[in-house]
Amino acid sequence: MMAPRTETLGEKEAEVFRPEIVVLFCQHCVVPDADLSVATMATSRFRARLVMMPCTSKVEPSHLLKILAEGADGIQVVGCPHRQCRRLDGNLRAEKRIEYVRRLLHQIRMGAERLGMERGLDFSGLQLMLLAERRANAVKPLGRNPMQEERIK
Amino acid sequence: MIIAESKPILELVHQLSGRRRILLTGCACCVAECAAGGEREVETLAPLLRLALKVEGHSLEILTKTVERQCEWEFVEELAELIPQADAVLSLACGIGVQAVAERFPEIPVYPGVNTTSLALREEPGLWAARCQACGDCVLGETFGLCPIARCAKSLQNGPCGGTRKNGKCEVDENVDCVWNLIVERAAAKGRLESLLRIRQPKDWSNSHHGGPKRMLREDLRP
Repeated sequence: MMAPRTETLGEKEAEVFRPEIVVLFCQHCVVPDADLSVATMATSRFRARLVMMPCTSKVEPSHLLKILAEGADGIQVVGCPHRQCRRLDGNLRAEKRIEYVRRLLHQIRMGAERLGMERGLDFSGLQLMLLAERRANAVKPLGRNPMQEERIK
Repeated sequence: MIIAESKPILELVHQLSGRRRILLTGCACCVAECAAGGEREVETLAPLLRLALKVEGHSLEILTKTVERQCEWEFVEELAELIPQADAVLSLACGIGVQAVAERFPEIPVYPGVNTTSLALREEPGLWAARCQACGDCVLGETFGLCPIARCAKSLQNGPCGGTRKNGKCEVDENVDCVWNLIVERAAAKGRLESLLRIRQPKDWSNSHHGGPKRMLREDLRP
């Protein structure tokens, strides 16, 4: 006789956990007619919010930490490739700040993988969503952002 | 400027554990210039602290306020209306600012958020180096504008010592110039090498912290 299957808490959590990912992307790394409404498409795996920026160099550590303190599970920053930043070295500045914040997240045991950076050009809206999913997959083992408990229901 | 460095985040978490609502206050003067305690650092540390404490299972509300200078009573007074709303203060000012806040508001615990380290100059973006040790007996006029007290590992009055590296760096740290080597170079460039032949006598340290807590009194400025 087959033993009844016992669902562990970990499995249940993983089942319902749809990471909320904020995608901060440079306006120059997407195609001009990118369909950004894809972010509103329902997916069973994660949720995404797309935020366009004039350049990734505008990303400050305080912005990244505030997004996480507001309860987002992860942040994906999307910038132009090396040596192709229209502001010369904006994407390199962003990279340094992201590494700084990743170190802080590691120190406080939030998990550095909640934040990452991808590079490329001519992304479509759908491709941005794929990058969001990549961050969502990295975030899943870390679990929910505990700050979500503080959101007004 | 006065240089300070951020305290390790886990030290702050340990200090603030159990607090419910704190006032995180910055100073827009020296510590802002050295990226340790200005408004930008306050706005970075506030969400970081909330996250760090939440991971430990605590919720913390943080009020923020950056004043022009925490070492001046007029500006410290700007915190008065926020103090009753908090159960502790975390100050990102230098040690002077932290003490000013603690002295003005004795009813509330005040914690330092930075370690004050030196009087320094920004050499290039992201790099600050000590230039003054507040010794109370300035010799810059004799050493061609280069301070052997703050910039020599041994605070030598007569140098260089035998430890200067061949590339002109200090034996203590390969990234630091031997200041006495710089002094000699500058004297030579001005054609005044002979001025360094005079042996400087032992320094009078009584006007520095060796002479006890420093007080400066100007009767003409007192009320």
